[in-house]
Amino acid sequence: MDKIRVLLIDDEPSFTRMLKLSLERRGRFEVRVENNGAYGLKVAQDFLPHIIMLDVIMPDVDGGEVASKIRADEKLKDTPIVFLTAGVSRETTRAKGNVIGGQEYLAKPVTVDEVIRCIETQLRKNGGVAPGSSAVPKS
Amino acid sequence: MDRQDVATRTETEDSGLSAAEARSRLDAVWDLANDALFAVSLDGFILAWNPAAERIYGYPAQAIIGKPLSILVPEDRLHEFETTITSIARGATVEHFETVRVRSDGVPIDVSLSIAPTRDEQGRVTSALAVARDITAIKQALRQAELSSVKLSEREAMLRRALLALRRSLEETKSAQLHLVQAAKLESIGRLAAGVAHEVKNPLAVILFAIDYLAETIEAPDASMVTALNDARDAVMRADSVIRGLLEFSTATELTVSKGDVNSVLEKALLLVRHALTKSHVFVAEELGTDLPPAMLDRTKIEQVFVNLMINAVDAMPSGGTLIIRSRRERLTEPGPDVGYRRSDRFRVGQTVIVVEIDDTGTGIDEAARARLFDPFFTTKPPGRGTGLGLAVCKSIVALHGGTIRIANREGGGGARATVVFQSVRP
Repeated sequence: MDKIRVLLIDDEPSFTRMLKLSLERRGRFEVRVENNGAYGLKVAQDFLPHIIMLDVIMPDVDGGEVASKIRADEKLKDTPIVFLTAGVSRETTRAKGNVIGGQEYLAKPVTVDEVIRCIETQLRKNGGVAPGSSAVPKS
Repeated sequence: MDRQDVATRTETEDSGLSAAEARSRLDAVWDLANDALFAVSLDGFILAWNPAAERIYGYPAQAIIGKPLSILVPEDRLHEFETTITSIARGATVEHFETVRVRSDGVPIDVSLSIAPTRDEQGRVTSALAVARDITAIKQALRQAELSSVKLSEREAMLRRALLALRRSLEETKSAQLHLVQAAKLESIGRLAAGVAHEVKNPLAVILFAIDYLAETIEAPDASMVTALNDARDAVMRADSVIRGLLEFSTATELTVSKGDVNSVLEKALLLVRHALTKSHVFVAEELGTDLPPAMLDRTKIEQVFVNLMINAVDAMPSGGTLIIRSRRERLTEPGPDVGYRRSDRFRVGQTVIVVEIDDTGTGIDEAARARLFDPFFTTKPPGRGTGLGLAVCKSIVALHGGTIRIANREGGGGARATVVFQSVRP
């Protein structure tokens, strides 16, 4: 069965490692990690994820810049992006339905179940289509 | 009477001198005196006139002798002149009588007059001898001094007013400075909080993932292991709520205000705490004013304030009770804490404000705790239940709205009352 491809772009290796472990343990996800925002676009072009989880604050290139480049890419422009932020409280993101300024957000710390719920919601909204591939696999 | 008569009389009185000597002496006095000396008949005609009189009044002797003395007297003082002549005729003496006379060129001058009657051998008053001292300069100096004194008083009053204004301005500056310092403190706390949030939330996220991962991967965990994992999860959430409090405390400096109805924000807050109310068996009594003026509000932040105060009230009634919510419009009629007449006062006498009261029927707050309620990280709740930032955040938010917040024990009824006062605006 095809898995949901999730690209994690976050400069915190322990965070990406634990999230990758936790998601992949559920068996439905194939997770690619990139800890350097500058390589985010390249990896996305190569990996063609169903969804991208993107850290907002990173040392070299911030999440907003990476998102702009992804949005400008013909193949990736419709790929859902969820921002992971440590600067906004969980209550704030929850109260706003995880949408701030038209963009999906998840506030750290977040549980694996919350991440999965968010991924599922985004893929439903997006019609479940990964760039350059068939529809997202049913779980 | 002329100069001769005056000399003769003097000679008579000065028995030790010859008539010539006495005459010579008198001539010297007459000619050299700085004061005007002149003799006047009882019907008011000038009989004698010395050189000083010429200088002071501007009339040469030959031009004025034989003329009525009244030509020296201003019209408005003629009555005074007549009274004096009458008085002298009766034998009275006038000493240092200050009055005004007119020079030959029409210029009024201030004089000090001393007048004595002169008598014949039988002691009958026959004429008067006057000494007039020109005191114009002195009078002018006095008038100038009076004027200066008045000006000085005016300037003193002006200085006092300026000093008062300066003091007020100083108070306003101090108040503004305090606000600035407070804002600067909040800004630094904000920057610190944002930094801390980022640095702490990432490790918290890792720990939370790890806890979830362990919980899923450990096969048949025993009860103590489950407890340990749950405690660890709770600890992460608690740490996160402290960070959240810090973030809220720091972002309390930014408002997005619009004209709004305080009652509708209260209703929304009540909806949000409904679950907590039911869970703690707390009833709600609402007494919301129907004539509230609007206020400039950041609805989200004020909602946060009301929710915070309501949750505190619920927490103060663990065995149930009543949450009383009131709102009303109030016209401030007397000065008091935060109410005065100055621009620097939070509210001014005569202003219409919106008062919100949130009461609980719990046990109230002890005095020591009351003094520290708004201090960041101070809490009366059990460990793990409160971050101690809620009321500090509330205070910042309300202050940013130009309002005040107070918490005190209710009079008589038991429990505590949180009072929030808002500035109102025109509908």
